[in-house]
Amino acid sequence: MDHLKPEEVVDIAEGTRAESSAPHLSTCELCRTQVREMRAMLSAVADVDVPEPSPLFWDRLSTRVRDAVAAQTPSRPWADLWTWPRAVVPAAVGIAVVVAAVLLGSRAPVPPVPGAPAVAANAVNDRDALGTPDDASLNFVADLTAGLDWDAASEAGLTAGGSAEHAVTHLRDAELRELARLIKEEVARSGA
Amino acid sequence: MITADLALAGLDEPALVEACLEGRPGAFDLLVERHRRTVYQLCYRFVGNHEDASDLSQDVFLRAFRGLKSFRGQASLSTWLYRIGVNVCLNRVSAKTLPSESIDERQFEDARAQSPDDRLLQEERGARVRAAVAQLPPKQRATLILRMYHEMSHQEIADVLGSSVGAVKANFFHAMGNLKKLLGDDT
Repeated sequence: MDHLKPEEVVDIAEGTRAESSAPHLSTCELCRTQVREMRAMLSAVADVDVPEPSPLFWDRLSTRVRDAVAAQTPSRPWADLWTWPRAVVPAAVGIAVVVAAVLLGSRAPVPPVPGAPAVAANAVNDRDALGTPDDASLNFVADLTAGLDWDAASEAGLTAGGSAEHAVTHLRDAELRELARLIKEEVARSGA
Repeated sequence: MITADLALAGLDEPALVEACLEGRPGAFDLLVERHRRTVYQLCYRFVGNHEDASDLSQDVFLRAFRGLKSFRGQASLSTWLYRIGVNVCLNRVSAKTLPSESIDERQFEDARAQSPDDRLLQEERGARVRAAVAQLPPKQRATLILRMYHEMSHQEIADVLGSSVGAVKANFFHAMGNLKKLLGDDT
Protein backbone atom coordinates (compact mmCIF):
# COMPACT_ATOMS: atom_id res chain seq x y z
CA MET A 1 0.00 0.00 0.00
CA ASP A 2 1.43 3.40 -1.03
CA HIS A 3 0.91 5.97 1.69
CA LEU A 4 0.58 9.66 0.95
CA LYS A 5 3.83 11.48 0.41
CA PRO A 6 4.70 14.29 2.86
CA GLU A 7 3.94 16.96 0.25
CA GLU A 8 0.53 15.38 -0.41
CA VAL A 9 -0.29 15.42 3.30
CA VAL A 10 0.72 19.09 3.43
CA ASP A 11 -1.39 20.00 0.41
CA ILE A 12 -4.47 18.21 1.75
CA ALA A 13 -4.05 19.60 5.28
CA GLU A 14 -3.64 23.13 3.93
CA GLY A 15 -6.66 22.68 1.69
CA THR A 16 -4.86 23.29 -1.59
CA ARG A 17 -5.74 19.77 -2.65
CA ALA A 18 -9.09 18.06 -2.16
CA GLU A 19 -9.28 14.90 -0.07
CA SER A 20 -11.29 13.34 -2.86
CA SER A 21 -8.24 13.54 -5.09
CA ALA A 22 -6.53 10.98 -2.82
CA PRO A 23 -8.74 7.88 -2.64
CA HIS A 24 -6.11 6.22 -0.50
CA LEU A 25 -7.20 8.41 2.42
CA SER A 26 -10.53 6.68 2.74
CA THR A 27 -8.86 3.33 3.32
CA CYS A 28 -5.77 4.29 5.36
CA GLU A 29 -6.14 5.27 8.99
CA LEU A 30 -2.44 6.16 9.26
CA CYS A 31 -2.64 8.76 6.49
CA ARG A 32 -5.93 10.14 7.84
CA THR A 33 -4.24 10.57 11.22
CA GLN A 34 -1.31 12.39 9.62
CA VAL A 35 -3.62 14.82 7.86
CA ARG A 36 -5.63 15.36 11.06
CA GLU A 37 -2.52 15.99 13.15
CA MET A 38 -1.09 18.31 10.55
CA ARG A 39 -4.28 20.37 10.63
CA ALA A 40 -4.18 20.47 14.42
CA MET A 41 -0.59 21.70 14.35
CA LEU A 42 -1.37 24.33 11.75
CA SER A 43 -4.06 25.64 14.05
CA ALA A 44 -1.86 25.47 17.15
CA VAL A 45 1.08 27.24 15.58
CA ALA A 46 -0.90 29.93 13.82
CA ASP A 47 -1.53 33.28 15.48
CA VAL A 48 1.52 33.15 17.71
CA ASP A 49 2.73 36.72 17.52
CA VAL A 50 6.18 38.04 18.12
CA PRO A 51 6.21 40.16 21.29
CA GLU A 52 5.93 43.79 20.32
CA PRO A 53 9.08 45.66 21.30
CA SER A 54 9.03 49.09 22.85
CA PRO A 55 7.58 51.73 20.51
CA LEU A 56 10.92 53.49 20.75
CA PHE A 57 12.72 50.45 19.40
CA TRP A 58 11.94 51.03 15.73
CA ASP A 59 13.59 54.42 15.50
CA ARG A 60 16.49 53.09 17.51
CA LEU A 61 16.89 50.27 15.02
CA SER A 62 16.84 52.74 12.13
CA THR A 63 19.48 54.84 13.85
CA ARG A 64 21.67 51.80 14.44
CA VAL A 65 21.39 50.81 10.80
CA ARG A 66 22.16 54.37 9.67
CA ASP A 67 25.24 54.51 11.89
CA ALA A 68 26.41 51.10 10.72
CA VAL A 69 25.98 52.09 7.08
CA ALA A 70 27.84 55.35 7.68
CA ALA A 71 30.67 53.44 9.33
CA GLN A 72 30.85 51.19 6.29
CA THR A 73 31.10 54.04 3.82
CA PRO A 74 34.02 56.31 4.78
CA SER A 75 34.63 59.28 2.55
CA ARG A 76 36.93 58.06 -0.22
CA PRO A 77 36.49 60.47 -3.11
CA TRP A 78 39.07 58.86 -5.36
CA ALA A 79 37.73 55.39 -4.68
CA ASP A 80 34.21 56.63 -5.29
CA LEU A 81 35.34 58.29 -8.46
CA TRP A 82 36.53 54.90 -9.63
CA THR A 83 33.07 53.49 -9.23
CA TRP A 84 31.36 56.34 -11.05
CA PRO A 85 30.20 56.00 -14.60
CA ARG A 86 33.13 55.59 -16.90
CA ALA A 87 32.35 58.92 -18.55
CA VAL A 88 33.43 60.77 -15.42
CA VAL A 89 37.08 59.82 -15.72
CA PRO A 90 37.59 61.19 -19.22
CA ALA A 91 35.56 64.20 -18.15
CA ALA A 92 37.87 64.91 -15.26
CA VAL A 93 40.95 64.37 -17.41
CA GLY A 94 39.53 66.56 -20.15
CA ILE A 95 38.67 69.37 -17.78
CA ALA A 96 42.04 69.13 -16.10
CA VAL A 97 43.71 69.43 -19.50
CA VAL A 98 41.57 72.42 -20.47
CA VAL A 99 42.11 74.15 -17.11
CA ALA A 100 45.82 73.51 -17.28
CA ALA A 101 45.95 74.79 -20.85
CA VAL A 102 44.15 77.98 -19.88
CA LEU A 103 46.38 78.50 -16.87
CA LEU A 104 49.56 77.84 -18.77
CA GLY A 105 48.43 79.87 -21.73
CA SER A 106 47.57 82.89 -19.61
CA ARG A 107 50.98 82.90 -17.94
CA ALA A 108 53.33 82.37 -20.79
CA PRO A 109 52.40 83.96 -24.08
CA VAL A 110 54.84 83.03 -26.80
CA PRO A 111 55.28 84.16 -30.37
CA PRO A 112 53.25 82.28 -32.94
CA VAL A 113 54.90 79.32 -34.50
CA PRO A 114 55.15 79.67 -38.29
CA GLY A 115 52.55 77.51 -39.98
CA ALA A 116 50.59 76.81 -36.82
CA PRO A 117 46.96 77.97 -36.34
CA ALA A 118 46.67 81.44 -34.85
CA VAL A 119 44.77 80.24 -31.78
CA ALA A 120 47.69 78.00 -30.88
CA ALA A 121 49.90 81.01 -30.51
CA ASN A 122 49.19 81.08 -26.81
CA ALA A 123 50.26 77.54 -26.30
CA VAL A 124 53.30 77.03 -24.16
CA ASN A 125 56.59 76.03 -25.65
CA ASP A 126 58.98 77.49 -23.17
CA ARG A 127 58.70 75.49 -19.97
CA ASP A 128 61.02 77.75 -18.05
CA ALA A 129 58.50 80.55 -18.44
CA LEU A 130 56.04 78.59 -16.32
CA GLY A 131 58.06 79.07 -13.19
CA THR A 132 57.61 75.39 -12.40
CA PRO A 133 60.20 73.70 -14.57
CA ASP A 134 60.41 70.66 -12.32
CA ASP A 135 56.71 69.89 -12.24
CA ALA A 136 56.46 66.70 -14.28
CA SER A 137 52.68 66.76 -14.53
CA LEU A 138 52.65 70.33 -15.83
CA ASN A 139 55.35 69.51 -18.31
CA PHE A 140 53.31 66.55 -19.45
CA VAL A 141 50.20 68.69 -19.88
CA ALA A 142 52.28 71.32 -21.66
CA ASP A 143 53.46 68.69 -24.10
CA LEU A 144 49.90 67.59 -24.72
CA THR A 145 48.52 71.06 -25.22
CA ALA A 146 51.42 72.81 -26.95
CA GLY A 147 49.90 72.57 -30.40
CA LEU A 148 46.27 72.14 -29.47
CA ASP A 149 43.41 74.61 -29.49
CA TRP A 150 39.69 74.07 -28.97
CA ASP A 151 38.82 74.30 -32.67
CA ALA A 152 41.49 71.79 -33.55
CA ALA A 153 40.21 69.52 -30.80
CA SER A 154 36.66 69.87 -32.12
CA GLU A 155 37.78 69.10 -35.66
CA ALA A 156 39.53 66.04 -34.35
CA GLY A 157 36.27 64.90 -32.81
CA LEU A 158 37.51 65.19 -29.24
CA THR A 159 34.55 67.30 -28.17
CA ALA A 160 31.84 65.19 -29.79
CA GLY A 161 29.04 63.39 -27.89
CA GLY A 162 30.42 60.87 -25.47
CA SER A 163 33.45 63.08 -24.84
CA ALA A 164 34.44 64.89 -21.67
CA GLU A 165 32.20 67.82 -22.55
CA HIS A 166 29.26 65.53 -23.08
CA ALA A 167 30.01 63.61 -19.89
CA VAL A 168 30.15 66.76 -17.77
CA THR A 169 26.74 67.87 -18.98
CA HIS A 170 25.31 64.51 -18.04
CA LEU A 171 26.74 64.09 -14.56
CA ARG A 172 24.55 63.57 -11.54
CA ASP A 173 24.44 66.23 -8.84
CA ALA A 174 26.71 64.36 -6.45
CA GLU A 175 29.18 63.69 -9.24
CA LEU A 176 29.21 67.32 -10.31
CA ARG A 177 29.82 68.44 -6.73
CA GLU A 178 32.70 66.04 -6.38
CA LEU A 179 34.15 67.07 -9.72
CA ALA A 180 33.91 70.75 -8.78
CA ARG A 181 35.67 69.99 -5.52
CA LEU A 182 38.46 68.14 -7.30
CA ILE A 183 38.95 70.95 -9.80
CA LYS A 184 39.02 73.58 -7.06
CA GLU A 185 41.52 71.50 -5.19
CA GLU A 186 43.67 71.16 -8.29
CA VAL A 187 43.45 74.86 -9.13
CA ALA A 188 44.30 75.82 -5.55
CA ARG A 189 47.27 73.49 -5.60
CA SER A 190 48.55 75.02 -8.83
CA GLY A 191 48.30 78.47 -7.23
CA ALA A 192 45.99 79.97 -9.84
CA MET B 1 13.71 60.19 14.30
CA ILE B 2 14.86 61.47 10.98
CA THR B 3 11.93 61.90 8.70
CA ALA B 4 12.57 60.52 5.27
CA ASP B 5 12.41 62.93 2.40
CA LEU B 6 8.77 63.53 1.57
CA ALA B 7 9.59 63.31 -2.11
CA LEU B 8 10.75 59.75 -1.54
CA ALA B 9 7.65 58.68 0.31
CA GLY B 10 5.64 58.06 -2.82
CA LEU B 11 8.25 55.96 -4.55
CA ASP B 12 7.51 52.34 -5.30
CA GLU B 13 10.13 49.68 -4.57
CA PRO B 14 12.13 49.80 -7.82
CA ALA B 15 12.24 53.60 -7.70
CA LEU B 16 13.28 53.54 -4.07
CA VAL B 17 16.08 51.10 -4.83
CA GLU B 18 17.21 53.37 -7.66
CA ALA B 19 17.15 56.34 -5.29
CA CYS B 20 19.31 54.40 -2.84
CA LEU B 21 21.80 53.58 -5.58
CA GLU B 22 21.94 57.24 -6.57
CA GLY B 23 22.79 58.06 -2.99
CA ARG B 24 19.75 60.24 -2.41
CA PRO B 25 19.65 61.26 1.24
CA GLY B 26 17.00 59.44 3.20
CA ALA B 27 16.32 56.81 0.57
CA PHE B 28 17.89 53.91 2.43
CA ASP B 29 16.35 55.18 5.67
CA LEU B 30 12.96 54.89 4.04
CA LEU B 31 13.73 51.39 2.80
CA VAL B 32 14.66 50.39 6.35
CA GLU B 33 11.55 52.03 7.72
CA ARG B 34 9.33 50.10 5.35
CA HIS B 35 10.83 46.70 6.06
CA ARG B 36 12.21 46.87 9.59
CA ARG B 37 9.21 45.30 11.31
CA THR B 38 9.09 42.32 8.95
CA VAL B 39 12.83 41.78 9.18
CA TYR B 40 12.82 42.06 12.97
CA GLN B 41 9.94 39.59 13.29
CA LEU B 42 11.69 37.13 11.00
CA CYS B 43 14.85 37.38 13.09
CA TYR B 44 12.96 37.15 16.36
CA ARG B 45 11.25 33.95 15.31
CA PHE B 46 14.61 32.48 14.44
CA VAL B 47 16.47 33.38 17.60
CA GLY B 48 13.69 33.80 20.16
CA ASN B 49 15.01 36.86 21.96
CA HIS B 50 14.93 40.59 21.43
CA GLU B 51 18.63 41.41 21.73
CA ASP B 52 19.79 38.95 19.11
CA ALA B 53 16.84 39.77 16.85
CA SER B 54 17.81 43.42 17.06
CA ASP B 55 21.46 42.72 16.20
CA LEU B 56 20.48 40.42 13.36
CA SER B 57 18.05 42.97 11.93
CA GLN B 58 20.82 45.52 11.80
CA ASP B 59 23.06 42.99 10.11
CA VAL B 60 20.39 42.18 7.52
CA PHE B 61 20.02 45.82 6.52
CA LEU B 62 23.75 46.39 6.46
CA ARG B 63 24.19 43.45 4.10
CA ALA B 64 21.30 44.70 2.04
CA PHE B 65 23.00 48.09 1.73
CA ARG B 66 26.24 46.48 0.64
CA GLY B 67 24.50 44.24 -1.86
CA LEU B 68 22.02 46.73 -3.24
CA LYS B 69 24.05 47.15 -6.42
CA SER B 70 23.54 43.47 -7.17
CA PHE B 71 19.77 43.67 -6.68
CA ARG B 72 18.38 43.74 -10.18
CA GLY B 73 14.71 43.42 -9.41
CA GLN B 74 14.55 39.79 -10.47
CA ALA B 75 12.66 39.20 -7.22
CA SER B 76 10.68 41.62 -5.10
CA LEU B 77 12.67 43.65 -2.63
CA SER B 78 10.96 41.92 0.27
CA THR B 79 11.79 38.46 -1.10
CA TRP B 80 15.38 39.59 -1.53
CA LEU B 81 15.44 40.88 2.05
CA TYR B 82 13.93 37.60 3.27
CA ARG B 83 16.73 35.75 1.53
CA ILE B 84 19.35 37.88 3.22
CA GLY B 85 17.51 37.58 6.53
CA VAL B 86 17.25 33.82 6.39
CA ASN B 87 20.93 33.49 5.49
CA VAL B 88 21.98 35.82 8.29
CA CYS B 89 19.80 33.94 10.78
CA LEU B 90 20.92 30.51 9.63
CA ASN B 91 24.55 31.59 9.96
CA ARG B 92 23.92 32.90 13.43
CA VAL B 93 21.99 29.92 14.76
CA SER B 94 24.64 27.56 13.45
CA ALA B 95 27.37 29.61 15.11
CA LYS B 96 26.03 29.95 18.65
CA THR B 97 23.38 28.81 21.06
CA LEU B 98 20.95 31.60 21.61
CA PRO B 99 19.08 32.38 24.80
CA SER B 100 15.32 32.16 24.62
CA GLU B 101 13.05 35.03 25.52
CA SER B 102 12.37 36.06 29.10
CA ILE B 103 8.93 36.85 30.47
CA ASP B 104 9.87 40.56 30.60
CA GLU B 105 10.09 40.72 26.84
CA ARG B 106 6.39 40.06 26.54
CA GLN B 107 5.28 43.23 28.29
CA PHE B 108 4.48 45.19 25.14
CA GLU B 109 1.99 42.77 23.66
CA ASP B 110 -1.19 44.56 22.87
CA ALA B 111 -3.97 42.52 24.38
CA ARG B 112 -6.55 45.13 25.17
CA ALA B 113 -9.36 42.93 23.91
CA GLN B 114 -8.53 40.05 26.22
CA SER B 115 -9.11 39.36 29.88
CA PRO B 116 -5.96 39.13 32.02
CA ASP B 117 -6.37 35.35 32.32
CA ASP B 118 -6.83 34.85 28.60
CA ARG B 119 -3.91 37.12 27.90
CA LEU B 120 -1.68 35.19 30.27
CA LEU B 121 -2.70 31.87 28.75
CA GLN B 122 -2.09 33.10 25.25
CA GLU B 123 1.29 34.55 26.18
CA GLU B 124 2.34 31.28 27.75
CA ARG B 125 1.15 29.27 24.79
CA GLY B 126 2.91 31.64 22.42
CA ALA B 127 6.14 31.42 24.38
CA ARG B 128 6.00 27.62 24.34
CA VAL B 129 5.41 27.52 20.61
CA ARG B 130 8.21 30.01 19.92
CA ALA B 131 10.57 28.04 22.13
CA ALA B 132 9.66 24.83 20.31
CA VAL B 133 10.12 26.46 16.90
CA ALA B 134 13.53 27.68 18.04
CA GLN B 135 14.56 24.07 18.65
CA LEU B 136 13.79 22.88 15.13
CA PRO B 137 16.63 22.13 12.73
CA PRO B 138 17.53 25.33 10.87
CA LYS B 139 16.00 24.51 7.48
CA GLN B 140 12.79 23.23 9.03
CA ARG B 141 12.68 26.31 11.21
CA ALA B 142 13.14 28.62 8.23
CA THR B 143 10.44 26.82 6.26
CA LEU B 144 7.93 26.87 9.07
CA ILE B 145 8.55 30.53 9.94
CA LEU B 146 8.23 31.73 6.36
CA ARG B 147 5.14 29.62 5.73
CA MET B 148 3.22 30.19 8.95
CA TYR B 149 4.18 33.72 9.93
CA HIS B 150 5.15 35.47 6.71
CA GLU B 151 2.45 33.90 4.57
CA MET B 152 4.84 32.91 1.81
CA SER B 153 3.87 30.30 -0.75
CA HIS B 154 5.90 27.12 -1.00
CA GLN B 155 7.33 28.41 -4.27
CA GLU B 156 8.42 31.69 -2.66
CA ILE B 157 10.04 29.79 0.19
CA ALA B 158 11.84 27.60 -2.33
CA ASP B 159 13.14 30.77 -4.01
CA VAL B 160 14.35 32.18 -0.72
CA LEU B 161 15.99 28.97 0.43
CA GLY B 162 17.29 27.99 -2.97
CA SER B 163 15.56 24.62 -2.96
CA SER B 164 12.66 22.89 -4.67
CA VAL B 165 8.99 23.13 -3.82
CA GLY B 166 8.99 19.42 -3.00
CA ALA B 167 11.86 19.86 -0.56
CA VAL B 168 10.08 22.80 1.06
CA LYS B 169 6.90 20.79 1.57
CA ALA B 170 8.86 17.85 2.95
CA ASN B 171 10.68 20.18 5.33
CA PHE B 172 7.38 21.68 6.40
CA PHE B 173 5.88 18.24 7.00
CA HIS B 174 8.84 17.18 9.17
CA ALA B 175 8.87 20.55 10.97
CA MET B 176 5.26 20.04 11.99
CA GLY B 177 5.97 16.49 13.13
CA ASN B 178 8.90 17.61 15.25
CA LEU B 179 6.91 20.50 16.63
CA LYS B 180 4.19 18.14 17.74
CA LYS B 181 6.76 16.05 19.62
CA LEU B 182 8.29 19.14 21.22
CA LEU B 183 4.96 20.56 22.32
CA GLY B 184 3.57 17.23 23.48
CA ASP B 185 0.14 17.55 25.02
CA ASP B 186 0.12 21.33 24.62
CA THR B 187 -1.38 20.94 21.20
